[in-house]
Amino acid sequence: MKKNNDGHPISKNGESIMTALELSEEALEAKDEEKNEIAVKLATAVKELSFQITEKEKRADELLKINEELAYQIREKEKRTLELEEVNNELEAFSYSVSHDLRAPLRAISGFSEVLAGDYIEQMDGEAKILFSEIIRNARKMGELIDNLLEFSRLSKQDIFRGTIDMKEIVENIVADQVKLEPKRKIDISIQELPKVEGDKNMLKQLIFNLVSNAFKYTGKKENVNIEIGSYSLNAEQVFYVKDNGAGFDPRYYDKLFGVFQRLHSSMEFEGTGVGLAIVQKIATKHGGEVWAEGKVGEGACFYFSLPLKIKKANYDI
Amino acid sequence: MTYNELQILLVEDNMSDAMLTIRALKKHNLANNLVHLYDGAQALDFLFGKGEYEGRNLAEKPKVIFLDLKMPKVDGLEVLRHLKADDRTKLIPVVMMTSSKEEKDIVESHRLGVNSYIVKPVGFDNFSKTVADLGMYWLLVNQTPRE
Repeated sequence: MKKNNDGHPISKNGESIMTALELSEEALEAKDEEKNEIAVKLATAVKELSFQITEKEKRADELLKINEELAYQIREKEKRTLELEEVNNELEAFSYSVSHDLRAPLRAISGFSEVLAGDYIEQMDGEAKILFSEIIRNARKMGELIDNLLEFSRLSKQDIFRGTIDMKEIVENIVADQVKLEPKRKIDISIQELPKVEGDKNMLKQLIFNLVSNAFKYTGKKENVNIEIGSYSLNAEQVFYVKDNGAGFDPRYYDKLFGVFQRLHSSMEFEGTGVGLAIVQKIATKHGGEVWAEGKVGEGACFYFSLPLKIKKANYDI
Repeated sequence: MTYNELQILLVEDNMSDAMLTIRALKKHNLANNLVHLYDGAQALDFLFGKGEYEGRNLAEKPKVIFLDLKMPKVDGLEVLRHLKADDRTKLIPVVMMTSSKEEKDIVESHRLGVNSYIVKPVGFDNFSKTVADLGMYWLLVNQTPRE
């Protein structure tokens, strides 16, 4: 190998080996720096990884906890469902017993009173007759109360039998029946065009009957009675209304209007059990609709109910 | 009374209801040959000649049975089930009388082959008329098949 004057070996291209060494040292240093950088990066990555792993473990723990919580909630729900079923059965047994056992003594009271009033009427003076008629009237009233209450509770478990219902036909029949009951009254009744709807025929009949018979009842003390039954569509719903110019109601007590056993008139003014409008509301809600009303004391009332054009499945449990 | 002329068998545990029923039937001269029993067990003994009715001539059958649904021990549905399952008694018309319009009772009674089902109304006028109509129908109008 040739050597240059300061004794360093000379490379083929003429550079001294020293320079090459210095250069490679520099390259090495550069590489070291790179290595350091990579090492730092690696360390960060490792840190990041271990952080992520702990995070994952934490998440897994959380998931486990959530799972446990869910399982607990499901168990609780099952327990609640069982409890509710039990309560439901008890309620059913209760209403069954009410319908049998409460009506029996009532039947005896009203039955024997009527027998007495029928067969021994000659032996009674005027006062006794009045007292007896009060006993009979009250026994009947209690019978009605029980029947209405049962009707109301029966509605809760009843499913909707869907069909296409001709509302015009239903309304006309019910109005005709009501007119027959009070042939002497002069009532101006107007029945507007009413469309067909989807719903349960018996339930809707009951609903209409309750509203129409209310209109007849609460106009009983008026002359020039007007009753109007009509319908209009609103968004995806069909709204029906029964409007009268009868006794109306005090809007201050509006929130009691549709409550069970709630009445806004005394039975001295108008007889009733306070279940009719509660039934109306229940039937409408079961169909996925709503009820509302407008009224003024002495000026009449208008009762509305809406039915969705297409009733959804299962609104049964309301 | 001999059971020869037996026309109505009334099975009713509630004395008030029984009195009112008998009274309504009497008004229409339908209660002359009536036997009143107080529960389902007694009714089954009577109809099948067991217990206190051991040896009763079973050929003497009532023309109609008025059967209360809800009774202690053996209820009306149970009695109905026995009656309609036995050749000796299945042709006797049975009128089920009950206090309630419970759907499941009505369905079950008809499934078991009841001939009439009436809900005892609270008003006596209605009650009296219903009982009398049914007595009249099953005693006078209806022709039971000869065996």
